[in-house]
Amino acid sequence: MAAKTKKIFTLGVWKDNPVYRQILGICSALAVTNLMLNSLVMGVGLIFVTSLSSFTVSLLRNHTPKHIRMMVQTLIISGYVIIVDIFLKAYLPSMSEALGPYVGLIITNCIIMGRAEAFAQFNTPIPSFFDGMANGIGYALVLLFIAFFRELLGFGSLFGFNILGPNWVSWTLMIMPPGAFFMLAIVIWITKRYLPGDEEKKGGATA
Amino acid sequence: MARKSKNKKPILYPVVFMIVIAAVFTTALASLNAVTIDLVETQEAVKNQRSILYVFGQDVPEGLEEVQTSFEALVTEETIKEISYYVATENDEIIGYAFPFQGSGLWGTIWGYVAITPDFSEIIGVDFIKHAETPGLGGRISEQWYRDQFRGIRIEEDMGDIIIYRPSSGGNADAITGATLTSNAVRNMINDQLQELLDEVKGDI
Repeated sequence: MAAKTKKIFTLGVWKDNPVYRQILGICSALAVTNLMLNSLVMGVGLIFVTSLSSFTVSLLRNHTPKHIRMMVQTLIISGYVIIVDIFLKAYLPSMSEALGPYVGLIITNCIIMGRAEAFAQFNTPIPSFFDGMANGIGYALVLLFIAFFRELLGFGSLFGFNILGPNWVSWTLMIMPPGAFFMLAIVIWITKRYLPGDEEKKGGATA
Repeated sequence: MARKSKNKKPILYPVVFMIVIAAVFTTALASLNAVTIDLVETQEAVKNQRSILYVFGQDVPEGLEEVQTSFEALVTEETIKEISYYVATENDEIIGYAFPFQGSGLWGTIWGYVAITPDFSEIIGVDFIKHAETPGLGGRISEQWYRDQFRGIRIEEDMGDIIIYRPSSGGNADAITGATLTSNAVRNMINDQLQELLDEVKGDI
């Protein structure tokens, strides 16, 4: 059990990371990463939604008729997303405003549906819960990594605290959408180059 | 006949299943919504109250209840010619009027409040409550230094523009570097609307 959980986490967070390996959830990864705090809240929201929706999908998997499973999954996912949305509006209104429509758009985040389809369909609730959580953490870490550079270079600050001093000339490009594209591309490039997955290893052996 | 029914997908069970699960989720969300709706509305209201306290040049407290208390102690809402505005009174003396304004920025509508002195001769403060400008560029209109520069700007009869960016002659505020369009949009919306508003309400308040 422990070994299996560990494997789920290595896959989700590292080897099969949803963002740089599966290239999922890119839209929100580009949109909210101009500030560390936004990325953190978005990441936590996604961890909450993926883990609980995977858990629920798995719980209902033997009772859900196969041909309507997508409908059921979407319903479950939107339920949890609305919970996150209401929570932010009630307790963190400034955050809710900063994240704007992206909280609602967690519903269409492919990571969640992807995990429900690829894992929760065939596994028991507890591993599914961990699988969702692992992928959520993988997503959150990549977001924080990108946001670290975008906020540091773009505002000279981290989590709103000024780090680089008043003489720092902000790289405005970093906080605008193109900065996100550059950073994400760099992340994917580095991970492709230095973290060879199973496929590349096989390919390398035969070539 | 038997083969036919085998290939046929069941209808009743999926429908019932979907209805049941939808009902469960809807009930859960509806009750969550009912529990938090008051808090959400309070948050919205307090956000406006914070902004109004700021434009009147008052200290804005941190906590929700503190904001509400000091707002209620200071500000009353009035309506004139279908324009709703806020009056701040301290020791039975009116210290200013605040009006909501809105106008198009670079990417979307900007909403805000502007407060003026009772003799309509000076801006007490300007604040923006909602906008969709570029973060780090036009979005900097919500930074304190930008909003603070509107404090104490003189308004005179037939003076033309109230806000003029430096280095133009008579300049009284700084635009934001790299955000000329947003800065100009803000200047124009305040210049146009404030003058119009004052002409409209002057005799009646």
